[in-house]
Amino acid sequence: MTRRAEAGLIVAACLLAAIGVAIVEFTQGNWLDAQVALTFLAFAAAFGGVYLAVIRWAPGASSLLLPLAAFLTAIGFIEIYRLDSHLAALQRWWLLVAAAAGALVLWALRDAGVSVLRRYRYVILAIGIGLLLLPLLPDSWLVYGATVNGSRLWVRIDIPGASRVMSFQPGEVAKVLITIFLASYLAERAEAMSVVSRKIGPFEIPEPRHLGPVVVAAVAAFLVLVYQRDLGASLLLFGIFVGMLYIATGRSFYVITGAALVVIAGWTALVPFDHVQRRIEAWLDPFGHFSEAGYQTVQGLFAMGSGALTGSGIGLGRPDLIPAAATDFIFAAVAEEMGLAGSLAVLTGFSLLIAVGFGIALRSRERFRKYLAGGLMLVIGLQAFIIIAGVLRLMPITGLTLPFMSYGGSSLVTNMAIIALLLRVSHEERT
Amino acid sequence: MNTSLRTTAYALLGAFALLIVSVIYIQAIKGPDFRDDPRNVRAIAWLTGRQRGPIISADGVVLAISTPSPSDPKLYERLYPEGSLYAHTVGFTSVLFGSRGVEQTRAADLISNRDATISGVLNGLLGGDTKPRGVRLTLRDALQTVARDALGEQRGSVIAIDPTTGAILAMVTYPSFDPNTLIGPDAGAAGEALERDEDDPLRDRAIRQTYPPGSVFKVITAASGLDTGLVSPSSEFADPVYLRLPGSESTISNYDGMVCDNGTSVTLKFAFVKSCNTVFAMLGMNLGADTLGGTAEAFGFNSEVPFEFDVLTSFFPLRGTMQDDPPATAQSAIGQRDDRATPLLMVLTVAAVANNGIMMAPYLVSEIFTSEGVVEATTEPVAWRRAMSPASAGVLADMMEQAVISGTGTRAAVPGVRIAGKTGTAETEGSAPHAWFIGFGPLGAESGDPQIAIVVIVESGGAFGESATGGTVAAPIAQRVLAAFFGVTDTR
Repeated sequence: MTRRAEAGLIVAACLLAAIGVAIVEFTQGNWLDAQVALTFLAFAAAFGGVYLAVIRWAPGASSLLLPLAAFLTAIGFIEIYRLDSHLAALQRWWLLVAAAAGALVLWALRDAGVSVLRRYRYVILAIGIGLLLLPLLPDSWLVYGATVNGSRLWVRIDIPGASRVMSFQPGEVAKVLITIFLASYLAERAEAMSVVSRKIGPFEIPEPRHLGPVVVAAVAAFLVLVYQRDLGASLLLFGIFVGMLYIATGRSFYVITGAALVVIAGWTALVPFDHVQRRIEAWLDPFGHFSEAGYQTVQGLFAMGSGALTGSGIGLGRPDLIPAAATDFIFAAVAEEMGLAGSLAVLTGFSLLIAVGFGIALRSRERFRKYLAGGLMLVIGLQAFIIIAGVLRLMPITGLTLPFMSYGGSSLVTNMAIIALLLRVSHEERT
Repeated sequence: MNTSLRTTAYALLGAFALLIVSVIYIQAIKGPDFRDDPRNVRAIAWLTGRQRGPIISADGVVLAISTPSPSDPKLYERLYPEGSLYAHTVGFTSVLFGSRGVEQTRAADLISNRDATISGVLNGLLGGDTKPRGVRLTLRDALQTVARDALGEQRGSVIAIDPTTGAILAMVTYPSFDPNTLIGPDAGAAGEALERDEDDPLRDRAIRQTYPPGSVFKVITAASGLDTGLVSPSSEFADPVYLRLPGSESTISNYDGMVCDNGTSVTLKFAFVKSCNTVFAMLGMNLGADTLGGTAEAFGFNSEVPFEFDVLTSFFPLRGTMQDDPPATAQSAIGQRDDRATPLLMVLTVAAVANNGIMMAPYLVSEIFTSEGVVEATTEPVAWRRAMSPASAGVLADMMEQAVISGTGTRAAVPGVRIAGKTGTAETEGSAPHAWFIGFGPLGAESGDPQIAIVVIVESGGAFGESATGGTVAAPIAQRVLAAFFGVTDTR
């Protein structure tokens, strides 16, 4: 696909967001106002800006990534705007910040390329783990952890003199940093790790000392689970670890051991935490727990069921009835108002993004870039799967944002940075 | 290495395929179950939570209004400030019991047409006003209130109409219900109680119930005789104590079991004023089933009445079936046997007499106005049918006036206003007779056309039971409504 076609698709996504906002204004009983223009401008500035950064610093990059990201962001934004126009105004600013972050990544790697990241691997890991632990900071500090919906994954900063507090989820950034570290680490150790030293039954077991990363992964994820009580983030982190180990070694041993550890860790965590236990109960029988833990799941099902094939129409449904509709349950909100047509478009968008991302990884000639692209795509794909599967009741609901679509600055910035890294990797294969 | 990368990609894409299958199942297959779950408040909110335009009476009283919900600013609550008084006409929109009345028939105007359909979007973009419209009814609140109070707690209904236009001025039914209870939090229990109620308060007796018309039908029999030129008010009839019907054992006698006048002969006018069954049974047989049936159909029997709501069709036995059956014709001529009429058709009948024989199509909505109060559409009165000749109508009006002056309808008289009327006491099997009154006023050239026609029906004698007649039960109710209409306070 040519750059020109890419530009056309980005403009189409910007128009989609603006038209969506117009429809919302309209169905909410308002006249068209500046919001439509502001939305178009914010989208055009954000994705146009990254597009220009690509032309300038990564001209050989894949032309499919940005339009897909823009499309998903637009669909999500329309629904956020429909749910809460104040949130949407914030999200517009976040979109600009995210685009700036994306452009910054492309600029920073313009000469040295992604391989420069390998040099700072342990610094990156340290920052990643530090960010992961940040929410555990005590409440009395200037920068402190906060518990939202039973999970401690937020960090708040009291800005002196301002009445507002800034809050963000460091885990969102941490998972990217940890992925970068893993790609780099595995690029060096993969061959050693895939050497079979002994066999137990049908399983080929690698050298024990190479099992280190797996143990680290299990422990880290378990700690996150225990201290932050966050099923989604730990599952995601764990999936990334296991997935990347598998990509690097090709040994299904890691996957099987990983899955076993998830079950054991999950089981152990279930007993002490009501919070997790209630979610499992709500998953198994949401209608039986309608008035308590199952409420959100059931409201999501009601929303999607009511949406049927063509949806209620944007602004004409009641997605506001779903708790956390703008964040965790944005998929259900889209499914209600845009119907099966909309939800299939979203799932297709993610599937295409995964295909494109893994395509980049497959074409990469160099190990690190291959693992990096695969790992980053795994971050987006797995996260999207875990939260949508929760909404669709294929698994217990976990508090994760839907990449590009949910409201949330940390999430948007992180995902835009991932796209920028993928763009850079794809560029490097052409040069 | 690429193999494991590919496997991972396929695994992830496979997982998304699973999501696709799952979402198709939820939205396209299982969808209706979730949508219709009683705990899913979407349907309720959608039906009842949207802003709807106001419904007001002719004199500007608010009958239905949407106010922002205190619990959710995006939602509205519908309120019917007059409660049961307009339950059957204004109606309601309830999740559990559906939509009725003007709330149903005018929903397209009352609900904003601003939506995400192509037409809705285009309409808005082209600058059309998409806010909900308001509906003004022809009902006058003052008259409606009097009619309800006059009927009291007697099953039946009262309808008042402008005979020259067909505009309904008042339309009440007892028993009624409070529509607010059907949209409130206890709607389910309230609605079930109403549905179980043997008196059927949900039924609009004015249009959804037929009764034997009894003697009020004599207006039509008289019209048939006058229109065909067979009789005039001064035509003489025999005056027996009872009339033996040819070819049968059955007889017809007058209400009090006495002769009508002097036992020798009696004029048509006198028989009309005193409502003598014997004379009208004879007239009916003289006219024959075909002629009488033709007149009944000219007055709208066996026809669907064009109206805001579905009206039960009033029934007069088909002409062919009474051809060789004079006793059946005789009984039908006095509004008994198989004759069945809705109160609405009887008020249209008397309104046609008042309006020179032209029966106007009844209507309930006078205008649709925009949110700024600009009238957007006005109902133009249309003639429905020509029931009788103007000359016959004038003669009949004179006979009816005499019935109020000196006959069975004296209790409907309003001092200072010339009122015409006809009473009816319809025999029914298994219950006390239904009491009828139909009338109109004012008569006389100097006051112009008659301004009001009225029907009163009180089921099963109302408070009077077996001893009830149209003159004792229904006529006084009509009198109160007519007096209020003409601003007469002292009716004695």
